[in-house]
Amino acid sequence: MMLGILLIVVSIAAPGPAAPQTSTMDTAPGKKLFDGMCARCHGIDGTGDEGPSLNHPTLTRAPDADALRAVIRDGIPDRGMPRVRRLTENELDQLVAYVRSLGRTATAATRGNAERGRVIYDKLACASCHIVSGQGGSFGPDLSEIGVSRGAAYLRQSFLGPAEALPRGSSPVPGRGFTEYLPVRIVTADGREVRGVRINEDPFTIQLRDVGNRLHSFRKSDLKDLEKEFGKSLMPGFRGRLTDAEVEDLVAYLSSLRDAR
Amino acid sequence: MRLALLFAIALSPLNLFAQVAPPRIAAAESEPANWLTYSGNYQSHRFSPLKQITRENVARLTPAWIYQVRRTGIVETSPIVADGVMYITEPPSTVTALDVRSGRPLWTYSPTIPTDVIVIGSPPVNRGVAILDDTVFVGTVHGHLIALDAKSGAVRWNIAVDDNKFGYYVTSAPLALAGRIIVGVSGAEAGIRGFLDAYDPKTGARVWRTHTIPAPGEAGADTWSGDSWKTGGGSAWLTGSYDPALNLVYWGTGNPGPDWNGDLRPGDNLYTCSLIALSPVDGKMKWHFQFTPHDIHDWDANEIPVLFDGTINGRARKLVAMANRNAFYYVLDRETGEFLSALPYAKQTWAERIDAKGRPIRRPDTAPTLEGTLVFPNIQGASNWPSPSYSPQTKLFYQATREMGTYFFKGEPSYKPGEAFVAGGGRAVNGDDAWGAVRALESTTGKLKWEFKLLTPPMSGVLSTAGGLVFGGTDEGNFFALDAETGRPLWDLQLGGAVRANPMSFAVDGKQYVAIAAGYSLFVFGLP
Repeated sequence: MMLGILLIVVSIAAPGPAAPQTSTMDTAPGKKLFDGMCARCHGIDGTGDEGPSLNHPTLTRAPDADALRAVIRDGIPDRGMPRVRRLTENELDQLVAYVRSLGRTATAATRGNAERGRVIYDKLACASCHIVSGQGGSFGPDLSEIGVSRGAAYLRQSFLGPAEALPRGSSPVPGRGFTEYLPVRIVTADGREVRGVRINEDPFTIQLRDVGNRLHSFRKSDLKDLEKEFGKSLMPGFRGRLTDAEVEDLVAYLSSLRDAR
Repeated sequence: MRLALLFAIALSPLNLFAQVAPPRIAAAESEPANWLTYSGNYQSHRFSPLKQITRENVARLTPAWIYQVRRTGIVETSPIVADGVMYITEPPSTVTALDVRSGRPLWTYSPTIPTDVIVIGSPPVNRGVAILDDTVFVGTVHGHLIALDAKSGAVRWNIAVDDNKFGYYVTSAPLALAGRIIVGVSGAEAGIRGFLDAYDPKTGARVWRTHTIPAPGEAGADTWSGDSWKTGGGSAWLTGSYDPALNLVYWGTGNPGPDWNGDLRPGDNLYTCSLIALSPVDGKMKWHFQFTPHDIHDWDANEIPVLFDGTINGRARKLVAMANRNAFYYVLDRETGEFLSALPYAKQTWAERIDAKGRPIRRPDTAPTLEGTLVFPNIQGASNWPSPSYSPQTKLFYQATREMGTYFFKGEPSYKPGEAFVAGGGRAVNGDDAWGAVRALESTTGKLKWEFKLLTPPMSGVLSTAGGLVFGGTDEGNFFALDAETGRPLWDLQLGGAVRANPMSFAVDGKQYVAIAAGYSLFVFGLP
């Protein structure tokens, strides 16, 4: 079963020792493998997307070549990174050489100021729906470690236009690859309308939480209508409501959230 | 002593039937309370003639008992029931006998599996046992075939089918015929040379071996290049079917090795991705039909071949049908192997059409690449090992169908004994972009009669019954019953773990039951 989507090789932005320049291997073959299997989550050139960026000198889950090799070979199943496919030793060498070369390129440093970003986070009342370090509302995703699992570009998109960036499932609920926080509109047999985000689903039932964070569970056969609103989000978008500098500050704050409880 | 023995036999009439002699399996329909072979009968109908559970009362179905396996791993077992005892397998290669009235274990047997066992190409699972006379037969992940006393679980014999160091292993239920235990191997992902074996049920001595990959000089060898046949794959990893009247065994074969890069093996690569018909007497191949010549997507043709008779163009014919992993439903003449028809039963993007001889005309740009090529069906196919069902009542072929695409990657081939020899792989397009259905196909043509949609691609088999029902399961843990004529859902229950097994039905004390494994448990349902 080669399921699973989200590649989470944890990277650390904090300055670390430069990657040892031991490999003189040509990185082009590794880049081809990476572009096919890894870039969908880690971004072209490993700049991060739905999965974390990899263009750092030290990757915490893969601090050396052997550890990186193991992560690529086996995946990190509990964090949503699949073993995409079985690789030969030579293919592993090529991928390791390429991924480690990313740390030697200029890091796409976050330009914003995390402390100013935290103030914006509070001003926008993000905490009414998101938890950071145990504090906040639980309607939206827990952001305590969001800087570990998402790249800057994805974080930027997630608050500017969240409908275009609904996360695909990395957890077993509702299932690998499923759109999480998918808005769903339900009309019950007696005409009552309920709108909320999908929590889980099977062919016969569906579970939602409405914006008041109340759980609803339905048998599909009891419903008059069930609409999955792909391309929408119940989170407000902030495009046009923040200056460019504020956007970068907020990205910097979110990227700094690396709570390792 | 002898008198006492005779007396005991006279007092327990059940003992007279305790031997599962071959004629009983061949006439399985005449004793529907039992389920004597993997797919219910030699024709692989997975149909129960029992009709106590009906469209009208199925909504009242309730658990009779539940058995929890004691090991982690995927439970893909398909139970056998004979004379009050159910025989199941637990991952990886354990056999357990259960009292069908209570669910209480009667015995359990676990072979010693070496810690360095090589299982490449599937999880370490087992799909069931065969029974013949007073012996139960199981294949193991370390490549053995073991005969157990049906009453006690004691080992009668234990032989190595082939060397697990090279990746040979067994997950499928053997097929028991008169004087023959037939078993196929897994291991194409390790670059094995596939085969089908027959063993003497009494002694474990090998009677014949038929390779699925011809050696130089043998028919079909010209479809390989150089030494590529030596690592040619062609596993026979799922249970086949048998026509007692024609005395022919039908068995599907798997992918060529390496899976996703065919550069080293130009040619059709016979007899991979094929259906082969052979004599159980000597293993000689009577005919073959290759569904996917020179496969490069891992579309094994190991799916269950289903035997039935039907009328094609006004002519009564003996047929064999397969809902192939490559998304086409094929109908062949099972006497001759003549291709009769093929229709897609799921989304496919790889073939323009199937020509008059049954050969696919491929679309360009569907081969795996370094960057990934999106192709339907997915890497695990529109179908896979979970069983279809054929109802002689409705004449419909029921297939749990997987609607999903995969980005196929081409990698480099590198053969080392006992290691993966796959040269690529795939990334399935899952989540909300994939789905599934139980489909009812007109058996002689493959035309869609109805479908019942599922949220995700299923890995559960289906069972049809004379009560007018089709049972199936989902990855989300639902077990459900549909109207066999219309597909209308009539009952469902959440079992709390993925259903990755085949349902079956049996009766005891005059009551019908339906059994299915889900998660780490086996569930048995009956009417209150």
